[in-house]
Amino acid sequence: MAENSNKTKLLSYVLLAAGIAGLAFALVLDFSGSSAGFRGPLLVAGAIVFLVGLYFFPTVEHHRSIINFIFLFPLLFTFAVTVLIPLALGIVYSFTDWNGIRLTGFVGFSNYATMFKDPSFVWSVLLTFLFVIFNMVLINVIGFMLALLCTSKMRGINFFRASYFLPNLIGGIVLGYIWQFVFNNVLIQITSKWGMMNSILANTKTAFAAIVVVYIWQYAGYIMLIYVTGLTTVPKDVLEASQIDGANALTTLFKIKIPMIASTVTICTFLTLTSAFKQFDVNMALTNGTGSVADFMGSYLTNGTQMLALNIYNTAITKNSYALGQAKAVLFFIILASVSIIQVRISNSKEVEL
Amino acid sequence: MKRKVIAALMAATMVLGLAACGSSGGDSGDGGSGGSSSGSDGNTIRLVNGKIEIDGTLKKLAEMYKEETGVTVEIESMGGGVDIQGTIKGYYQAGNMPDIFVNALGPEFKNWSGMLVDMSDEKWASDTDNAYVDEEEGTIGYPYTVEGIGLAYNKDIIEKAEIDPATLTDTAKLEEAFKTLDSKKDELGLEAVVGYCAEPTNLYWSTGQHVFANYLDAGLERDDTTYIDLLNDGGKFDEERLTDFAEYVGVLNEYSDPALLVSGTYDQQILNFASGKYAFVTQGSWIGATMTTDDKDAYDAAGNFEVGMIPYAFQDGIDTILTNSPSWWSIYSEGNVDAAKAFLQWMSEDTAQKVLVEEAGFISPFKSCTYVASDPFAQAMVDYISAEKTSSWHWLDMKEGYAMNYTGQVFADYASGALDTEGFIKTIQQVSEACYAN
Repeated sequence: MAENSNKTKLLSYVLLAAGIAGLAFALVLDFSGSSAGFRGPLLVAGAIVFLVGLYFFPTVEHHRSIINFIFLFPLLFTFAVTVLIPLALGIVYSFTDWNGIRLTGFVGFSNYATMFKDPSFVWSVLLTFLFVIFNMVLINVIGFMLALLCTSKMRGINFFRASYFLPNLIGGIVLGYIWQFVFNNVLIQITSKWGMMNSILANTKTAFAAIVVVYIWQYAGYIMLIYVTGLTTVPKDVLEASQIDGANALTTLFKIKIPMIASTVTICTFLTLTSAFKQFDVNMALTNGTGSVADFMGSYLTNGTQMLALNIYNTAITKNSYALGQAKAVLFFIILASVSIIQVRISNSKEVEL
Repeated sequence: MKRKVIAALMAATMVLGLAACGSSGGDSGDGGSGGSSSGSDGNTIRLVNGKIEIDGTLKKLAEMYKEETGVTVEIESMGGGVDIQGTIKGYYQAGNMPDIFVNALGPEFKNWSGMLVDMSDEKWASDTDNAYVDEEEGTIGYPYTVEGIGLAYNKDIIEKAEIDPATLTDTAKLEEAFKTLDSKKDELGLEAVVGYCAEPTNLYWSTGQHVFANYLDAGLERDDTTYIDLLNDGGKFDEERLTDFAEYVGVLNEYSDPALLVSGTYDQQILNFASGKYAFVTQGSWIGATMTTDDKDAYDAAGNFEVGMIPYAFQDGIDTILTNSPSWWSIYSEGNVDAAKAFLQWMSEDTAQKVLVEEAGFISPFKSCTYVASDPFAQAMVDYISAEKTSSWHWLDMKEGYAMNYTGQVFADYASGALDTEGFIKTIQQVSEACYAN
């Protein structure tokens, strides 16, 4: 028995050592720029050998946690490679002068200083907040009203549900180009009769309104579907009871239906909030951020309808300042992360109440 | 017993999962090494082409080259809104660099500095004026075509209106001619005198880059960098030249087609010109290809009229159009350099040039090439080039994103009337300063 455990112990140590050596060798090969084709398989083999060694590791008290680790490893590894490492790298890059090809040095906080001094970026941030507020309110109101219509007893209700939902299935870029055609080529035929020669996309304010409208058109159907689900879960007996008590439709709506679906309202509010923050594709296809602002913080802006995500993209890609774009993206991440944390907090407290 | 079976199953799943990760990891490793090993064996080169229109022609040339020399050339074409430099940067990060790739702008060449091969000693380099030459790094860009920026006109209409394009040598004379054409619009079948689009979302490049290029270069010697140097020095302008240029653009605004001025598209603009509805259009020689393919029916119906080009003469004495290679091919120094050099040399020689000129409609950048394309603008271009009445394209050295994010919108505001001439001059200076400030 003792001999057996000694054997296992030896096996375990050998395997662990071999695994680490394999991993280290593969990594050294990779970082030194070797083109040896076996370095990938070697890395994986090293990891497997290491895990097997860990499994045979002679311990009683930690055996369970080792097993847990081994089973979690593939997931943790994938999570680290696809989420954690890029996030850390991104934050590091925001303190450098990286241009997508090479990195010549660290610049401290100067990227962050530049971005807050730049009026066009401040404008993009403010515009995004404005867009979020407009969309959060309008999409929820319109989505809820559509949901009320689509839960009423009407003929062909499924057809209406499907057609309100349909715009959501079209990709934002395609949708943006379709609407651009509508605004520039179709609508202008009508407005030019009233003396408005320019497309509504040519003026910053109307162009912003156009983006809001197109986004509502795309997203309201989706929110409607969630509200429909919420409304159909309102118990029939409660509704019947209220009817017997003589409540009219409006009272039923405000005193029974809306309180009953309060959690759905929270979900929809945050869904619209985060998705409006991340608005990119419609913005890009419809106006690509163009539009002029005559005087903002003392300068003439040419990015009147450019929202945060598009601003980041343009900074990195078309202006070739990857590091500055990365710094903006870090700010974007902080904003979105705080919104998500607040959302989780609120939903959790609601659950406790229920 | 049952628990052991379950445990065994789970272990097997885990191993399978690892193996899947492993094999995909192995694949990417192989892919990377495949790329670099093909780079070293001298029999395959990979070219990233930025002009998707000529993908077919290039693939045909690659086949011809393979038959002749046994070297395989893989053509990878990008275009239609793909961010080419971004993609190549991705390739660089992944260790998957092509041997030859396309660069257009000065700042792009600067990004890759130290990684591009100097081709000054190649035979073709002494046969052209259009190579990309960097003072420190030598000849790092191979020109594959020449395009020209000028004010294109419809010869039939101009002749019918009895206007001699050679006399339109300053803004006042041009305005005079525009006025004459405007008064005869109905009898000439015109919709508007000039097709000028200042739409900022999709056509910023036409105004902010090509029309603006005339401020930078029109009338200058090919190596004269006065105005681009001024601009690159913190966004400065020559006030007098800018004022004359702004007045010229004002004339374009006034006589342009109001339906397309602020919200038109490239397709509509070229279609209308090809249908004979405009006497002038503010696009360069590349529209010849569009007119003879996409808009062939309309162009046939309008009688396949002859076209010509005049300089943007916004000041007295401007008599050049702007010609250049719109982008260049560069060789990556860690790639298969010798094979890539040999291929580019072959491309500049007779067999390949014949195909490029006659099938792709290119105007050859090489002096030894004798072929003339059937493109409507080819003759006009060749005339200017042989008379040495050409200037360069220094707009390529403007700061990245300058036209798209800044000036395109200013041209649009000027066109829509939100800015007057004075406002245009002031605003364009202000946004340029802002652009160059960060």
